[in-house]
Parts: sequence; structure tokens; C-alpha cells
Amino acid sequence: MANEINIGFAGNPNCGKTTLFNAYTGANLKVANWPGVTVEKKEGRFQFHQTDYRLVDLPGAYSLTCYTMEEQVTRQYILSDEVDVIIDVADASALQRNLYLTLQLIELGKPVILALNMMDIVEKRGMEIDTHRLPEMLGIPVIPVSARRKTGLDILMHAAAHHVGCPADTPLIHHHSGASSTESTRPRHRHQHHAEFAMVYSDLIEDKIDQLTGQLKRRYPGLQNYRWHAIKLLEGDQEILEKYPVDCPDVLDRSYEPDIIGQKYDFIDEIIQEVVVNKEERSALTDRVDSLLTHQVLGLPVFLLIMALVFFLTFTVGDWLKEYFQMGLDFFSAGVLGGLEALEVAPMVTSLIVDGIITGVGGILTFLPNIVILFLALAFLEDSGYMARVAYVMDGIMGRLGLSGRAFIPMILGFGCSVPAIMASRALENKRDRYKTMLITPFMSCSARLPIYVLFSEMFFPRQAMLAAYSMYLLGLLVAVLCAFVMRLLEGGKTKGSALLIELPEYKSPSAHTIFIYVWEKVKDYLTRAGTVIFAASIIMWALLNFGPSGYSTDMGSTFGSLLGKWLAPLFAPVGLGYWQIVVALIAGISAKEVVVSSCAVLFSVNNVNSAAGMASLSAILGGMGFGPANALALMSFSLLYIPCAATLATIRKETDSWRWMLGAAVFQVAVAWVVSFVVYQTALALLGPA
Amino acid sequence: MTLLDCPLGASRRIQGLDLPLELARRLEALGLIAGSPVEVLRKKRRGAMIITVRGTRFAVGRDIAAHITVREDEHGK
Repeated sequence: MANEINIGFAGNPNCGKTTLFNAYTGANLKVANWPGVTVEKKEGRFQFHQTDYRLVDLPGAYSLTCYTMEEQVTRQYILSDEVDVIIDVADASALQRNLYLTLQLIELGKPVILALNMMDIVEKRGMEIDTHRLPEMLGIPVIPVSARRKTGLDILMHAAAHHVGCPADTPLIHHHSGASSTESTRPRHRHQHHAEFAMVYSDLIEDKIDQLTGQLKRRYPGLQNYRWHAIKLLEGDQEILEKYPVDCPDVLDRSYEPDIIGQKYDFIDEIIQEVVVNKEERSALTDRVDSLLTHQVLGLPVFLLIMALVFFLTFTVGDWLKEYFQMGLDFFSAGVLGGLEALEVAPMVTSLIVDGIITGVGGILTFLPNIVILFLALAFLEDSGYMARVAYVMDGIMGRLGLSGRAFIPMILGFGCSVPAIMASRALENKRDRYKTMLITPFMSCSARLPIYVLFSEMFFPRQAMLAAYSMYLLGLLVAVLCAFVMRLLEGGKTKGSALLIELPEYKSPSAHTIFIYVWEKVKDYLTRAGTVIFAASIIMWALLNFGPSGYSTDMGSTFGSLLGKWLAPLFAPVGLGYWQIVVALIAGISAKEVVVSSCAVLFSVNNVNSAAGMASLSAILGGMGFGPANALALMSFSLLYIPCAATLATIRKETDSWRWMLGAAVFQVAVAWVVSFVVYQTALALLGPA
Repeated sequence: MTLLDCPLGASRRIQGLDLPLELARRLEALGLIAGSPVEVLRKKRRGAMIITVRGTRFAVGRDIAAHITVREDEHGK
């Protein structure tokens, strides 16, 4: 073994595990997850006292059964030999529920340390936790920490380093007073397990464990932790029953899972009785906030107001900052052009750099402020604990669409980016719900589509630009809802979504650090995309538009790009997009939606397309082609609804593990886009008249 | 009586879960087991409700609430 220590972070959802994880690894910003929505394990490294630590953030789990995907990932990782120490992160203010996972982790027989997180909240509420008695009862080290205030972090790592290789060997000093032995008799069970194990079951269960352990030892020599396997067999765990079948029909006469769960909770009650002083059942603050946010009547309007505020901030503050970005870009572009001309670089190279790369990539970079604000707002909603409430507020409406309120969370995340949104649909247990959600989530307008709305609404609806852009968000939501409704009708209208079940964490002021890391990660993604996909797409576009069958050509009309666009244009004429340049831009947009804007810039050779001058010249060119407000609306609608981007398709393919599903989703989206744009175009034409 | 029938603010004890095995196990892992005290904090017309069980709040849909049987909490509050 190298001098590297592998530490797995396990814990319930919403216990602040990711915040703690970020507090260690955040400095080098290698990882970031949706708080509470960690669906895959993430890794980070850091150094402490000349030792390398590899930290793995496991998905939040309430237990270690194999019913949900998150639990399976966590369980498999912990059972593997990869992990040296497990840090079990528990929300100290909700110890009662968090300890259930702790007991299961201890039973796995690996070295476990309990990190009591959110101790600051516990103190604020006037609760006290006896941190001396707790480790005695559990037989593992217990370290109080606060991930947000960054207290106790060094002590925790120190404990982890010392705990490597010594699974639960602390002598236990506790006696059950509960289930097993309160009644008159002393335990008749032959072993006194209380000295060995924290969690000791009733005599009935312990007898069965002993019998199964004997069997397992005979049949599977070399297996680690017979006790855990025996318990899992008694619980009727599918995976263990298949892997290690035993032949004891009299011992396994039924599933003892309810007994085992019940007795664990009995023990937890005992622990809470002994170690928690001034126990407060629930937070008064959360009650007060919830009385408004989850109000029977006001809950929905309040939610809509919050979302309106999010978009208002995105557009107003974002646009205000964007102007500065544009000024910078103008300056840069002019400087480069001047420099290249002064150096007498070949016109073709100058054209590639200025018209291709700077125009394409630069146009996208100016949207960075809008995107930062949108992601800030989404991270705030999630980290404060509001997102889970949205599932409750929307449950009634989603129920009518045959989906659980929980399916609405991926849809909101879709406003940010379709890729994590589709991954978040994993939280839905029911496969049919999941696939339906994956199909409609891309209709939620993601941040990459924003540049298209901003550009076209400012050009064609200068006075109602924000309204025009906002209407696209509503249109996306409406189309998603309609599609879900139609799917439900096709299924016979009887299907019910799997019922809602979600924990509502207590409200807290969001952690600036967590939000910062999350937003930074998104910005990095965006910049990477600008530097790779959009960069490449800009160059390819430039090449397609400057080369034709006869070689390099300055006449765009005879290039490969225009030939392809002209061939497909008739298909798009009924929806008001029958212009070869627009068709080419839309095809290019499959690589990433922002490319529609950068392509328009390249196609119509407009420099710095988002500046006032750029917009004026682009709208003049478009107007000259007969492309008016109705066409602009059609273009925005089509961009909103057709194939989101290559990355989203790849995610759908990965999540469904099916090429057919991915292709089906793509065809479905293009078809919906065509139909909706057709309706939008024809309606707008009737109302606004042609350009 | 089921959880769905409980009025707002009611404190009860869970008696049993009449749900598919997998869902029942998930609820049990969350602490919704026979004997757990449960309190109804909020309720919507269509039946979704917010409850607390063992110090944690949950939003549960109508279809789940209708299949959790409860009894009076004799210890009272």
C-alpha cells in the first residue's frame, strides 16, 4: 500500500456531506455536486501532515439495502477493498434518523468514524449532545464538526488517519435496556454480544445469526464479516441471497427485515434518550417559513413569483454586466484585427481568426454573466432546502400528468442545464416515470438557449425583449406539461405516478462555499465548451462557409454550407425558417445550442453580434431577406424545443442504456419543435403580419 | 384509520404499512415503522401532506398516506 489513505464519505441526503467534502477538497476545486443530489461518487485529493488522502463522496443514502441506485453505489463501494476508513457524516440536529445509517455502517465491520455535522445549529437551538457517551454506546470515534464554519476538520482527519485498520475494536461500555432484556429474564442467549457489537438484536435474531454464521463459515471460508452477511440473509437481501445461498429453511422461515429495522430503531431511541439533552422535536423557524412556502393556496403563486424573480435577475442584472463584456470584446477584436493587418498575415488566416474564432467564441463568452446569475439562483434554491418543497407544492399538478411531484425537480434543474437534470431523474424510483421525465426535461429552457432568445428578442422586439424571452420559458414548460399529459392519455389515462415521498430538510442559510464551488464548476463547463465544442464548431462553420466545390471562396452562396442549407430549406419553409443560413445554424446548433448564435454571427459575417451595432446590421440583413418578428418567434421556439445538444443526447443514451431510446427522443423532439414552431409562426404571422 | 384521514395537527402512532414490499422497506428505513409517532404538519386538498416522524419532515403523496394505518397516540402530547 502506498502512503495514501482512502476515505469514503457516507451519510444521509441533506446531512451536509458534500459541504464537508468540499471543505477538504474545495481548495483545489476538483469536485462539485448538486447539494443533496449526488448521484455518482466523486473524488478529491488533498494532503495533510505529509500524507495523501483520497476522498470519495458517496451518494446520500438512508440505508444500505439495494432498493435504490444511490444505495447500491454506496454499498458496493464500501464493501470493496478500496476504502480504508469510512467517515459517516450525520446531521447532529437530526441525529435520530441519521443514526440508522450509522448502525448499518458499523455492522459492515469496516473502520467507521462518526462526524457529527451541524453542531453549530445544535448549539443555537439549545440542544446538547453528550459526545462522550455517544462513542461509548456506538463503539466508534465521534468527532463534532461544522462543515460550514470549518471547525473540527483537522481533528476529524486525524482521527481517520489513526483509525485505519482498526475496525470497531474499542471496548464497548453499554447495555441494552430496551427490547431484548428489559423483561424479567436475563438474556438466555449464550453469547454476551454486548461486549463485541454495538447493535445487538433480540435473542431470537441473535440465535439465528449464530446459526447462519456457522453455515456461512463452513460454506464460504474466507468471507469477510460473517455477521453482516448473516444479518443480510435474515433481511432477505436479494443480492446476498443469490451470491451466498445457504440451506437453512428453518432459520430463514420468513423475512426478518421488519424485526431488524425495528430493533435498530429501538436502540437508536435508547441512544437519543441518553445522549441528547433538551431535545427539540422540530425547528420553529422551518415551521414558520413553511407556513408560507408550502401554504395550501399561496404555495403555488409564491413558487411562481420566486421563479419570476430568478429570471428577472438573470435578465436584468445579467444584461447590465453583459454590456461591459461586449465593450471588452469589441476592443479585443479590433485590436487583433489591427495587429494581424499590421503583421500582414494572409487574409484567409485573418478571416479565420477574426470572423471564425473571435466572432463565434467571443459571442458566447458575453453571455457568461447571465449564466452565472441563473446558476447562482438555482444553487441558492437547492442549498436553502426550498427545492424539496417544490416537489410538495407541485405534487397536485404533476399528479394530473401522471407524475409524482418529485419529477418536477429535474424539470427545474433543466432551466440550468439538461445534462445534470436528466441525471437527477434517477431519484425517481419508477422506471416509467423516469423515462417520461427524461423525455420532457429537455423542453425546459436551459441556459445555453438563453443567448438565442436574448439576441433575437432584442433585435425584433426591442421594447418587449424580456417578455419575449420569458415567454420562451413558459412555452417550454407548457410543451413539457402538454407532452406529459398526452403521454398519460396514450397510456389510457389511468396510470398513477409513483407516490411522492421526499425528505424536507430544515431551511438553512445556504453555504457560500458550496454555492461558489457549484457555480464555478458550471462556469468552467461553459468556458470549456466555449473553448472546445464551440471553438471547433466555429472553425467548421467558417470552413463550410468559405470553401465550396471550387475551393476557397469569398462568395458564401456557392459554399458547401449553403448547398446543404439550400437542400434542406424547403422543409423549414412552413415554419418560417426556410432560409439556408438559418438551417445551417440550426444544424450546427446540435453540437451545443449557443452555436446557433455564433453560427449566425459567422454566417452573416457580423462582428460582435451582441453589441448594438452588431444587432443593427444583423437585423438589417435578416429584414432584407424577409425574416421578420414572426420568423424570429418561430426560430426561438424551434431552438427551444429541438434536440437540446449532443451532450444531452449522450446523457439520455447513458441513462437509458439504449440507442433506440436516444434516437427516439431526438426524433420526438424535432417533431415537437416543428409542430410547435409551425403553430407559433402561423399565429404570429396572422397577428403581427409579415415583415 | 389511515394517515390520510388524520386532521391537520393530529398526533398518531403508525400501526402498519399496507404497501408493496419495496416501498414499505424504504419507508421503514426512514423510520416509518409500527409504533413510530407521526404528526401531520400540513395537508393539501388533494391529499399530499407534510408529516414529521422521528424528528424528520417528509412530504408524502396521497397514495402513500392512504396506505399507512395509524392509531391514537395513547401517550398523548
